[in-house]
Amino acid sequence: MDYLASVFAVWIRLYPSLMTGFAITVSLALAAVPLALAGGLVLLPLRMWSGRLVRALAGTYIEFMRNTPLLLQIYLIYFGLPLFGLFPSEFTCGVIGIALQHSAFLVEIYRGGIEAISQRQWEAARAIGMVRYTALRHIILPQAALRILGPIGNQLIILVKDTSLVSAIGVAELTMTGKVAIERLAATLEIFVAIGLLYLLLTSALGAGLRIIERRVSEWLG
Amino acid sequence: MNILISNLPYLLKGAMITLALAGVIVTVGNLLGLLLGAVSALVGRLGQSLITLYIFVLRGIPVLVIMLLGYYMFPALGYRVPAYVAVATAHIVYVSAFVAEIVRSAINSVPTGQIAAARSLGMRRFGILREVLLPQATRIAIPPLLNNSLTAIKQTSYVSVVGVWELTYAAREVVERTLASFQIFLGVMAIYFLICYPLSLFARWCERRTTVIQ
Repeated sequence: MDYLASVFAVWIRLYPSLMTGFAITVSLALAAVPLALAGGLVLLPLRMWSGRLVRALAGTYIEFMRNTPLLLQIYLIYFGLPLFGLFPSEFTCGVIGIALQHSAFLVEIYRGGIEAISQRQWEAARAIGMVRYTALRHIILPQAALRILGPIGNQLIILVKDTSLVSAIGVAELTMTGKVAIERLAATLEIFVAIGLLYLLLTSALGAGLRIIERRVSEWLG
Repeated sequence: MNILISNLPYLLKGAMITLALAGVIVTVGNLLGLLLGAVSALVGRLGQSLITLYIFVLRGIPVLVIMLLGYYMFPALGYRVPAYVAVATAHIVYVSAFVAEIVRSAINSVPTGQIAAARSLGMRRFGILREVLLPQATRIAIPPLLNNSLTAIKQTSYVSVVGVWELTYAAREVVERTLASFQIFLGVMAIYFLICYPLSLFARWCERRTTVIQ
């Protein structure tokens, strides 16, 4: 009992700082998710461009972002931009880094979804007189959207966990708050349990929300 | 470019450590995860729930937090181990949860009718796993396992945040000394790219081979 009491004492003492860290983690995620989703949409037409040069350039960029660690991308932005006279805040650098890498993963998910729709669907749409845009809008995209919702959700959960990397450039989000508390209080396990639970709460809530959205969309699209 | 070239030997030394770390973590992490995934097909309900809990907890927490946990918990429990060992152990545990989930869902994707058929032929649990489930699950699991290993290799760079010296740590040292942040970080990213890209091409090739054409 004494031990449990001491655990709660640590948690109560840390509650304000952990909540501040948690709020910063959530804001990082809230800022990066729409940027990453939109970034993927910007890259998509370039990745599927009819001209070979544009397509190759977009492909090279995407492969480079997918096959290098996010931590280094964040470092490159945070320590590299000052060389060009730009001094964005740590928070901004983190959000940009996360959004850039995840948009490269998301664009491949989008593309996979579109390419998985059989070529015959295109041909059938064209045969009944639809122009390319109408076919894409009414035939291809609804089917692709259904297929890619699951993978997009998984990617967003990875994104939320990746916000912990921003602690490496000094943003006091949840991981950083926990690390500082451990070094100060030496109540290692208690603090880890608290941080772990907060992250689990965040990722499971997101997972549950995404599943609801997925069900709604599939009902709506039929 | 000159600064990158003159510091390349130092960075390559870091790359060697990264490769060694990645080799150990990917190998042991995959083996442990395969074991957990296969065991969950053999054990009863309690064992399955424990493995489910293991997977759920580890997959829901950032790898950096798990690495910090490894770094601080060994000393807190009274074990004096080198930082390399502590952080690599934590990373292995983390990777194993993802592998276990991939293996488990691959095994579950084999139609249950086949298990019933095998049982009606008089096969035991272990025999069913070895002769019926694993051969089919392997085909399904290989591409996601390769992609997971790729993620694990990239994640080894995060150990530098905890204070373990490898390629990313070396890069930060060189940048602090030379202030050539753009060239050094881009150069180091190119090294990571050279390590990861061939593997990612291989994963995609496997994916194409194992996908059934609709």
